[in-house]
Amino acid sequence: MHEKIKREALWQFGGYSFLLVVTMLMMIPIYWLVVASTLPNDAIFSSAGNLPRLIPGTAFLENARDLAARPNIDYYLSIWNSIAIAGIYTVLALLFCSMGGFAFAKYEFKYKRVLFIAILATLIFPINLLVIPMFLLVSKLGLSNTYWAVILPWAASPLGMFFMRQSMQSIPDSLLEAARMDGASEFQLFYRVTLPTMKSSLAALAVILFLSMWNLFLWPLVVLGEGKYTIPVAIQKITSNQNVAYDQLMVASAIAIIPMFLVFLALQRHYVKGILAGAVKE
Amino acid sequence: MNSQTVTSLVDTLRFKREQLKESLPPFPGTPYVFLSPFFVLFGVFLVFPMFYTIYLSFFTFQGVALDPLFVFEIGGASVAIPKMANLQFVGLENYQRLLGDNIFYQSLLNTVIIFLVQVPLMVSLAMGIALVLNAGFTRFKDVFRSILLLPVAANSVAYTIMFTVIAVEGGLLDGVFIMLGLQPIPWMTDGFWARNLIAGMSVWRWTGYNMIIILAGMQTISPSLYEAAEINGATRLQKFRYVTLPQLKPIMLFVFVTTTIGVFKKFGEPVIVIQSGAPINKTRTIVYYIYEVAFQNLQLGYGSALTVALVLIILTLSLIQFKVT
Amino acid sequence: MTEITIDGLTKAYDASNDDGNENGEIIAVDDIDIEIEDGEFIVLVGPSGCGKSTTLRCIAGLEDVTEGEIRFDDEVVNEDRPRDRDVAMVFQNYALYPHMTVEENIGFGLKLSSTLPSDEIAERVRNVAEMMGIDDLLNKKPAELSGGQQQRVALGRSIVREPGIFLMDEPLSNLDAKLRATMRTELQELQNDLDTTTIYVTHDQTEAMAMGDRIAVLDGGVLQQIDPPEELYRNPENEFVANFIGSPSINLFDMDAEGDTLSGPGGFSYELDDHSVDDGPVRLGIRPEDITVDPDGNNLQISVVEKMGNENFIYGRLGTKEVVIRADASVRPEVGDTIGLQFDESAVYLFDSATGESIKTKTDEIAAPPSQF
Repeated sequence: MHEKIKREALWQFGGYSFLLVVTMLMMIPIYWLVVASTLPNDAIFSSAGNLPRLIPGTAFLENARDLAARPNIDYYLSIWNSIAIAGIYTVLALLFCSMGGFAFAKYEFKYKRVLFIAILATLIFPINLLVIPMFLLVSKLGLSNTYWAVILPWAASPLGMFFMRQSMQSIPDSLLEAARMDGASEFQLFYRVTLPTMKSSLAALAVILFLSMWNLFLWPLVVLGEGKYTIPVAIQKITSNQNVAYDQLMVASAIAIIPMFLVFLALQRHYVKGILAGAVKE
Repeated sequence: MNSQTVTSLVDTLRFKREQLKESLPPFPGTPYVFLSPFFVLFGVFLVFPMFYTIYLSFFTFQGVALDPLFVFEIGGASVAIPKMANLQFVGLENYQRLLGDNIFYQSLLNTVIIFLVQVPLMVSLAMGIALVLNAGFTRFKDVFRSILLLPVAANSVAYTIMFTVIAVEGGLLDGVFIMLGLQPIPWMTDGFWARNLIAGMSVWRWTGYNMIIILAGMQTISPSLYEAAEINGATRLQKFRYVTLPQLKPIMLFVFVTTTIGVFKKFGEPVIVIQSGAPINKTRTIVYYIYEVAFQNLQLGYGSALTVALVLIILTLSLIQFKVT
Repeated sequence: MTEITIDGLTKAYDASNDDGNENGEIIAVDDIDIEIEDGEFIVLVGPSGCGKSTTLRCIAGLEDVTEGEIRFDDEVVNEDRPRDRDVAMVFQNYALYPHMTVEENIGFGLKLSSTLPSDEIAERVRNVAEMMGIDDLLNKKPAELSGGQQQRVALGRSIVREPGIFLMDEPLSNLDAKLRATMRTELQELQNDLDTTTIYVTHDQTEAMAMGDRIAVLDGGVLQQIDPPEELYRNPENEFVANFIGSPSINLFDMDAEGDTLSGPGGFSYELDDHSVDDGPVRLGIRPEDITVDPDGNNLQISVVEKMGNENFIYGRLGTKEVVIRADASVRPEVGDTIGLQFDESAVYLFDSATGESIKTKTDEIAAPPSQF
């Protein structure tokens, strides 16, 4: 009996320490990111076998100003671009996916199976490998180097459509029938009855969509030109310089990551709900 | 405005809206209306490119087309269907080139190696953490979950920079190594280590995500299964092997398939790492190569062929994973 | 305030399988004719799958009609959308809008389909809420209400629109027994006050008998009979109706007729005095409440005696056939005893063995049951 308790305690201790170690390891890079963004360039690196300075410095504002003063790339503009693009995208994709999901969940119509299978098929396909023809398409449509070039191709998110359809299936048909008898048109059914009851699913999808657009790199790199860069592209352009100013880069990365972390912390409940809905239902 | 006028204003608006609704004819095609925005974009930007990629792979890109594909007259106006691009048919030439392309194989190899380093590490970590969190004796479960999930929100380029600074010569890692009396590892200058760095970065990024999924799967396992095993005399390890793992099969399949797809799509990390000086031949992933071919060398046809090959590889791997579980 | 005519209503579903082999049709409603008068309370009753809900939904406009016509006040409404038919419906699960308050739920229909100004809508909602006794709940959301309260909100939502027809689809089935009984009487009072034509669907024959002016019994999509409750009880058109109406159900025996003697299971025999049937098999029905116990007889072997306080249910066997007797509380034989059965010929039902149609129905006088010892 004593033996069992001891073993149990050992497991607990082991498990707990494992957890703590891993968590700390995960957090170290972020800590360093914050610290490094407050240090001048040379202080970021160790010299002669000493660790670089580990406590935050005071050079943050200075680095940030240097970053702003870069001649070719306006990083702060790219922050705005990222926010605008991700925001518009999220709203648009949310709207289209919820409308589509509503149709699939609550209506019967010809071609329903065909269309559904079409969406299923694209789920298997890694769609961001479609950049080459998309690039031609976008140029032809005259959308190069616009926000829409980045937003439109991804607004029809198959994942989003699936998620919305699944969530909407849980609305009882009798609710919609009651609304029809009350005199609602089909659009009012969608807008006044269905959407308000879907708030948490919409939030979950919104977080997932926003995050995916915020982090998108390959496509904006291909399509966007100066003045319209999003954050990842801007950072990449900065690093392609000869003299890499790491302190500025740290500031740039910190600005890219930390606020997003804070927002994410607040909203992660929704995010988790979203990814679980997809995964656990498999 | 007093409330009386506000209400009557609201009322008038409402009446107008309802009148409008009544004047509209009944819509038999309602579902189609709901679906059309989605499917228009879907068809144009997803379906068409899928087929066009395959189509393009049999051609060589020769430049942007300015002349239209064909023009037809409707009424008095003429409608021009634009040609996508100037192409020259080359049949299977692109694919032949692909099969003999050393760089293609090399980039494929790099990607696979990253896969082999990243996946076991990440899955074991994710599984381990999930086990600990699921065991129920940890308080602050939610706190740990939140912290561990954070890396998912990190911008792919920015977080690579974050790691680059740590890993670069003279960075934090070097400092730690020297302090421990070890020889510092040339993460950024040696191809082998640069690859491992990329794998390691991804482990940092995705462990939390997969952990959440595995944890959720674990929580659906009925406790009575564990109790039955306990009564049968199973140790902790045995319970894991005979109860947990089999029950998690569908979840693990999902994790493996999505991770595989993710690894084979890696682009941001190699870009930054290579730009920071890592040897390209050991760190170039396959998507990076496609990017080089298509957008730096403007060989869109060959790039399409490479894309098709990549899709086939991913599909095959996924199918294998399906069969195995 | 509307007259309803259902003329040859048929609703069929296409039931083809995926492999395309079976191309059958499921006929949910088969050629039903019903005339409903203004202000009547009609109950559609029958076992699961008999087509009662489908019929209701066709009247509502939620289902398309395959054949036949539905007319409101002589106007054909087959093509009309639900919202143009001036009907209101109460669903089995109430279907309250979860994100709206009680007040908004009740007023939703008014906001959408009428041209009433907001203050008048608010007043009407308030009046209805008072009528239903829920005026203190106006700001609450459905999730905060009990089942009975949700019920009332659903009712209120229908009433406030002052429609020509009320449609109710098993509205009380989700309530517990006591609440159900209370709501039943309340609904009847309500309908009396409002005098709106009402069609009520239920599978519970007790509810049907209690509430309806006339009851339509359906089975397998076919209308069996539509009559006031007492008619159904006394003069069922066929065995199905006789069996469905009445609790506990009527006792039915396979008898063989020879002249005036009917012989049945367990050696039981009965002499017909006032009637004659053709020789051959015939079905005899006698209701549990019409059987009296003959302590000297020895046909029935008693298996169970349920003492309910005000009456006793005696279960026994005639041969292999189970029989139920509803007797006064003073009649209390022991399990294992054998007793005889006595019943008046006027209370006997006779049904055709082959078709189930009734040959003879109850003709006795409606009087207090004779006292039993």
